[in-house]
Parts: sequence; C-alpha cells; structure tokens
Amino acid sequence: MGNPLGKNTTLLTLLPVDPCIMGRRKKIVQECEKLMDKPEQIRNIAIAAHVDHGKTTLSDNLLAGAGMISDETAGQQLAMDTKEDEQERGITIDAANVSMTHEWEGENHLINLIDTPGHVDFGGDVTRAMRAVDGALVVVDAVEGAMPQTETVLRQALREGVKPALFINKVDRLINELQEGPEEMQKRLVDVISDVNELIRGMTEEKDYDWTVSVEDGTVAFGSALYKWGVSMPSMEETGISFGDIMELERGGDRQELHERTPLSDVVLDMVAEHFPNPLDAQPRRIPTVWRGDSESDLARQMREVDDDGEVVFMATDISMDPHAGEIATGRLFSGTIRKGQELYVSGTAGKNRVQSVGVFMGGEREELDRGVPAGNIAAVTGLRDAIAGSTVSSVEMTPFESIEHISEPVITKSVEAERMDDLPKLIQTLQQVAKEDPTIRIEINEDTGEHLISGQGELHLEVITQRIRDNQGIPVRTGEPIVVYREQVQGESHEVEGVSPNRHNKFYITAEPLSQDIVDSIKLGEISMDMPELERREALQEAGMDKDTSQNVEHIHGTNILIDDTKGIQHLNETMELVIEGLEEALDDGPLAAEPVQGTLLRLHDARLHEDTIHRGPAQVIPATRDAVHRSLIAGQVKLLEPIQNVRIDVASEYMGSASGEIQGRRGRVDDMYQEGDLMVIEGIAPVEEMIGFSSDIRSATEGRASWNTENAGFRVLSDNLQREKIMEIRERKGMKLELSQAIDYI
Amino acid sequence: MLTFIGLGLYDERSVTVEGREALADADRAFAEFYTSHLVGATVEELEAYHDIDIEVRDRAGVEQDPGAILDAAEDEHVAFLTAGDTMISTTHVDLRLRAEDRGIETRLIHGVTAQSAASGLTGLQNYRFGKAVTLPFPYVHGGDPVPKSVVDSLEANRELGLHTLVYLDIKVDWEGRRGVEVDGDQYMTADYAAELFAEHWDGDALGVAVCRAGSPDPVVAADRLSALAERDFGDPLHMLIIPGEVHHVEADALSALGGAPEELFDEH
Repeated sequence: MGNPLGKNTTLLTLLPVDPCIMGRRKKIVQECEKLMDKPEQIRNIAIAAHVDHGKTTLSDNLLAGAGMISDETAGQQLAMDTKEDEQERGITIDAANVSMTHEWEGENHLINLIDTPGHVDFGGDVTRAMRAVDGALVVVDAVEGAMPQTETVLRQALREGVKPALFINKVDRLINELQEGPEEMQKRLVDVISDVNELIRGMTEEKDYDWTVSVEDGTVAFGSALYKWGVSMPSMEETGISFGDIMELERGGDRQELHERTPLSDVVLDMVAEHFPNPLDAQPRRIPTVWRGDSESDLARQMREVDDDGEVVFMATDISMDPHAGEIATGRLFSGTIRKGQELYVSGTAGKNRVQSVGVFMGGEREELDRGVPAGNIAAVTGLRDAIAGSTVSSVEMTPFESIEHISEPVITKSVEAERMDDLPKLIQTLQQVAKEDPTIRIEINEDTGEHLISGQGELHLEVITQRIRDNQGIPVRTGEPIVVYREQVQGESHEVEGVSPNRHNKFYITAEPLSQDIVDSIKLGEISMDMPELERREALQEAGMDKDTSQNVEHIHGTNILIDDTKGIQHLNETMELVIEGLEEALDDGPLAAEPVQGTLLRLHDARLHEDTIHRGPAQVIPATRDAVHRSLIAGQVKLLEPIQNVRIDVASEYMGSASGEIQGRRGRVDDMYQEGDLMVIEGIAPVEEMIGFSSDIRSATEGRASWNTENAGFRVLSDNLQREKIMEIRERKGMKLELSQAIDYI
Repeated sequence: MLTFIGLGLYDERSVTVEGREALADADRAFAEFYTSHLVGATVEELEAYHDIDIEVRDRAGVEQDPGAILDAAEDEHVAFLTAGDTMISTTHVDLRLRAEDRGIETRLIHGVTAQSAASGLTGLQNYRFGKAVTLPFPYVHGGDPVPKSVVDSLEANRELGLHTLVYLDIKVDWEGRRGVEVDGDQYMTADYAAELFAEHWDGDALGVAVCRAGSPDPVVAADRLSALAERDFGDPLHMLIIPGEVHHVEADALSALGGAPEELFDEH
C-alpha cells in the first residue's frame, strides 16, 4: 500500500525462455485441449483481493506449479502483469487470463484463471472478470487483514453467483517480522477468517446456500506467495507437516525446504479443484442470476447443461488489443462451440461478425485452436469487431446477458489533445478503442475543438490510460489538469411547472422530486432497469420503497433518474413519448446549474396538451418543450450541485497520527474514526475527490513516508452552500457558458 | 398592423388580387416556407413580382423568436406570407394571438389551399372529408413507419364513411436529429406515401394521388394504394387522399378525372 503505485516498482525483465519450459508448454497446451471437452474437469476461477495483498504473486506460483514459468522466478516474475506499465508499476491493471492444468485425486483438471486488479480505480475489470468465472480465490494479507477492497471484490463475486475460497497470504511476516507466537498467530488468522465470513454471510443472507469458508472444510489456505509455500487442513493431513514445523523452517530461513515439502501451488490448486464448482454445477445456478431470458427455452436449457452442440452463447468480459491479431474478445462460453468462420450476433449492434480465430490464453500468449473452444471454457476470440466488454455474442438472436454491474461511476475527467493535428483521426480511434476495452471509462469526442474528454475512476486510472495512448499507440498527447465530475440533484419536491412548445400548441406539466437512496442504489446495481420485464421492475421498485401506483407508471430510466407517466388517456401521447424522453435526456445530461449530469431525481409527467397533427407535435416542438419543463421543475425543486467524495483510510504510526488526520481535515474532509490496530493507528474518514488530488505526495511528506493509505469512491454529496455559487460559476466559465444563472435560481 | 396573406398553391400568380394589393401596401414582408412551399416560384421571383423585399424566417425565427416580426408590426404595415392559406395546416394562429396581445391590429387575407384543391381536382365532396393527417418521414420520428395516430385517424374516418386527406411531409432546411442527416430539401411523394400505407396498412385500399395542384399540369390518379406505389408522379408537391365510402358521382369523377379502374367501384 502506501503509494498506490505499489511496492514492486522495479522493472523486472522476463527471463530468457528456458527450452525445457517451451517443450512443457506445448505439452500443457495439448493437455488443455484434451480437457476442454470435459466440463466436469474444468474450473474457471479468478483471483481477487485488495491492492498489494499478493494476487499476482500467487498467480505466478500457480503458473510455476503448472510448469509454465520457471520455478525459481515465481514470486518475482509477475508473468501475468504482461503490459510494460504493469510490470513497472508492480500492480495489475487489467484482468489477465491464463489456462493451466492440475492433477487432483488422480484426475487432471483444466484451470482457467483470471488475475484481476485490486486497485480501486480498476474496479470495472474485476466486475467483468467475475462474469466469466465460477470460483473466486480471495487473497487477504495476514498482517493487514480484510480491507475495504476485500469487501468490494467479495461483493462483486457473490453478486455474480461466484463461490469464494480464502487464501491468507504473507504468513511469513507474522512469523519473522512480527515475531508472533503460535497463539497470537492463530488468533490473527481466526480473526481474518471470521471477518471474511461476516462479509459473506451479510451478502448471501437471502441465498439457500452457505458459502462461508472454514479451515475444517478446506476452503481456507495459508501461506506465503513470496516464499512459495502454503498449507491447508487437507494438505497438512496429507504431508504431515505441522504448524510447529512451519514456524521452525520459516524462522530458520529454510524456505526452500518449506516450499518443497508443501508447495503453495499444489495446496491452492487442490483447493480450487475440490471446492470450486465445475461449469456443469455452476451454470444452472448462475444463468438465472445473469440472464433474464425465457428459462423454459431451449437456449436456457443448453446454457444450463453446458451443451457444446447447442447454440453459441458467449459473453465478452474483456477486449484487448493485439498488434498482430487486432482486437481480442475474451470471455465465457456458456453454450455451443465457438469456431473460426462462424457468423455471430453481437448484442446491441445490427448484423453479424465473422469469427477469425479462436483460442485460449497461456500466460501472456494466445494459442489458437483450429478445433474451436467448447462450452464451459474461457475463450479468446478475434474478429468480433462490434463487441465491447460486456457484449453478448451468439449464433441466434437472443436476450442479452444482464449488463455487467459497475459499482463505481467515473469521478475524474481529463482533457486529451493530440500534439500533432495529423494524429487526430488516430487519437479518436484510440479513444474509442479505450472505451470499448474498459466500459468504466467514458469518452467524449469533441471534433470541433479537438479537445476530447476522458473520464474514469481516479487519477491513476486516467494516468494509465493516457500513458498507453502515448506509449502503445505512439501518439504524443497533451492532457489537461484532472477535473472532478459533478452532479446536480433536486433537494425537495417541486410545484407543477408547464413546458410550452415553440409553436405554443403543445404543453407538458411536470414535477420533480428526489428519489430515495435505496432506489438510486438499486438502479446503480442494475437491480432496476428498463431492460427487465415490467412486472419484475415493479416489484423491485416497490421493494426499494416506491409506492405501487408510481411503480406502475414508470416510463423511462435515464442514469439514476426515473420518468413517471401519470397522465391518463391522452390521445397521441404514446407516439410523442419518444420525443418527450429525448427532451428529458437532454435536460438531464446537462443540468440547469452547470450542465453537469442530473442524478437521483424522479420526474412526473402529470398532463400534456398536444396538437392534433403529428407534424405540429414533432421533434422541433416537443423536445424543447420538455427540456425546458424538466429544467424548470428541477429549479423549482431547488436543484443543487453535488461533488464526488471518497472514503479514506490511513494506517500510520501513532506519532504521525496528528499530521495524517490533519491531511483529511484540511481537505474539507471529516475524520469518522481513529483506532489502534496492531502497532499502527487507523484513521477513517471521508473527503471530496477534488481535494484528494495530490494527496499522495502530501501525505507522504506529512508522515515522512510512514503512512499507507487507501481510498474508495463513495458517491456524491451536496456541496456546502457557501461553495455552490462559486463552484457553479467556475464550471460554467470552464465550459464557456454564460456567467449568470436563471433568475429562478434564487436559493443559492 | 400585421396582415396574414396566403400566397395560394403554386407560383407568384396564385395569390388573390386582394392579397397582391395588401402586399403592395406593406412596408415590410416576412415569409415562412417550412410548412409549405411554392414550387413554381423562387423567393426572388416573388420579390420581383410584388416589388418588395421578403425576409424568409425559419421555424425558430417564427416560433421562438417572433419578436422581429411583431416589433416591426407595432409601427409599420407588415405582411406575413405563407404558401396556401396562412391559417390552414399551420400553427400561425399563435403569431396572430401574440400580435393581438400586444395590441397590434391583425388582418387575414385568405389564400387558395390544398384542401380546396384536393376536393376540387378529384370531385370528392368537401362535405365528406373527415380529419386530415400529415404523414411524416419515418426518419423524423423514428417510430413505426406509419404512426399509429395516422392509422387511427384514417380508420376513424372510414368508420364514418369519410375521406382522409393525407398531407405529405416536407423538410426544408432541416437540421437533422439523432444522427439522421438529409441532403437538401425533401418532399414526400405520393407513390412513396402509397407504398408506406400499402406495406404497413392496406395495399388494396383505394387511394387518390393529387400532384402539383394549382400548377398548369396537375395530376390526379386513383387506384389501389399498391398500384399507386408503383407509379412516378413527377415533381412536387403531392398529396394523397384515402377515400371512405364513395358516392356514385364521386366514383364517376374518380374514373373520369383520375383514371380509376372500373372494378374498384363494382361493389357500389
């Protein structure tokens, strides 16, 4: 932790490839191919954790155990951090994929593994990866314990119906650095397990299965990814090694022996093979959670049964760029067999894409397989030019999968400009590509000014993206200062306002009121959307607290705003509704205060008067009328500016506690809690994202580098009244809007 | 003073004598051609014929920003011109009401309108028309190719045995919307409209195309909609009529003036 760029910041060059590994690699590919057709021997898994808890190091252990990288370098090689910037920064930025084999109880198993980033800025990758897998290996640092991001990744896994198992890493530090005795150690490990179980229990209350982990069941393993050893209850029984032996060997520095006697990869992969469901077990449970199509249909049956003769149903969870092969869509194949030459539908786009090649990932490399990849596997597909991360790709037209839920919305924007005019077309293309690869990035192309906007999860997120544009695409770009993304939201119920069309022959009567936080959260999580069947949506809305009548009249959802149609029997309104919605969306995308997006607002259409003829109630009339009505209803509801905030946690030596908490308080922040944990003080609080820009270096100097810290986006909060006008004007000026507000805005 | 003057159906000579004289008296003239259009005369030809400068306003210039017209009418004699009649199938009563609100005297000089020509050229009796509708270009609204409200009106009219006059969309200086762009001005043709109705409503129903009303070579053609869809009626403007029950004299007129095939009226 500490510096979000992580501790492993040295650049590690990949070692010369060992010819013996080359040979083995080929054998592994052949072995993988054989196993692909046997779903009962397949495990699709992800490794997920808080940043720097050791996911990638663990992945490398597993790869080495499978003979895919040399044993000596596991733990240092970071083979799954394939992009240069990842190896430089020492953190995993994208989810990376790899397939390997592992023998368990006399049978060989195919393990398809996705390593995911732990840094909070890259949360979107984690959510997408979870869609592809059935089991999640949650890694927790024994010293730090469960951290905020541990909770987030667990939540992401459980929401997708992905079963967790726990690996407690860095146990060597308990023994050597902290010099803990067996009892202290045991207590610490039990605490970690019960913290994790508390999270799991809380998130699976309504489920009919118990997914809590336990040492006795063998769903918990301990060890050191750095020194490549690990144990679990079953492994200790098998190898006869005891905790006493471990402590002795670890203290004596005999880690090599420890590794040889109880290698981490065997222990963890045994746990994976034994406790994670194979696709045949997992898909019948997962399909209803991720797909809302007709459960009685053949397609539903084929997906439940992992039918490799069925229709092709593939969900792209990642899009990456290969300089030779072009765009590679990686994802989970739920049904059918995907082969070169197939013509497949891509959800949300017209026409079909032709599959150019199909393969699997082996380390950073893709192995093409002419025979195709059957259902139940993770496949890498080229030729799907219309696919984005999250697309449903299929051989028949079908209800797409539930959109993959992004827990966080973009909070920071940067402008990007090509230094050379000639690069402009290439830059636009690259930006569009970036948005395709990472849907948590938003791109706004402005062809007039050439100053494009790119929005993401945090400073680091944007920094990485712009660096890639520079380095990978070789486009020199100028970037602006990071700008925080704001929101606008009504504070109270408005009176009824009238919107009149330019020809004055059409009128719309609208009110605005705030939506409850429960409803907003449900929309954000995708539990309420216009894609779902009406009845289900109604129920979900009522469950989140909306009254019955209102829930029956939902006409549209835009962002986290809802339009209710409370009109009755108005002739021609149906036909006009599309235009009403278009006007509404325009009004909500550019709010009345500073043209920032409106959130959490319920708009009610009470009445409308329409011209008899379509032509006189067309776009030129209805769009401006509703846009105007929506803005005026928002103002009548005292719309205010909201700013994004972050939860901040600082772990710091007690002598620096004052300076560290001062860093939060000095940033319009609030310290909520301070408590001792081990020999460190933990400070928890919140602060505005805007003020957190540059926090990294300030906290380092305030604590002489003795603090480690972590932030997590925590939504938006109303900006304090005394800053409203100033901030609104600042944004308006930046956007070139006029510097006076509508007269009706007299409350700020 | 604000005088609304209908310019009639086709060219600079389609205006009434009263309208021409009123325009000659005017100090300034404004016009809009987005609701309809004189096909037989350019603005320059109109200006030359009436010896006055004509300021053409776009939709926003009339609806959202009528100030310039009204300000001028406060102390000068201003003429506001449209093709056809200024008050038929337009929303300009709004402009008149705004003027009245400001205490500006207003006057209306009628023009010959498409409705009159539709009845006149086809022999379909004006007593027997129901609600009129406009058929918009599908790309404008993005909904069903034939909007439900159009079908509803049409069927409500037929239920009562009444004819339906279908105005055909024109797009002049259209800005485009949601990624749809249009090159130049667009006038929907009667064959295109007949095709839309044939595909999305009833191709066997009788239709009457009325083309270039008011010009020296107007065309009236009566046939099944599916047959009209196959024809080419030449230059704009076009209209389409979907007759309801046909009176025997109307049937005779459609045969004699519109070349309707005899068998279409056999059952009557």
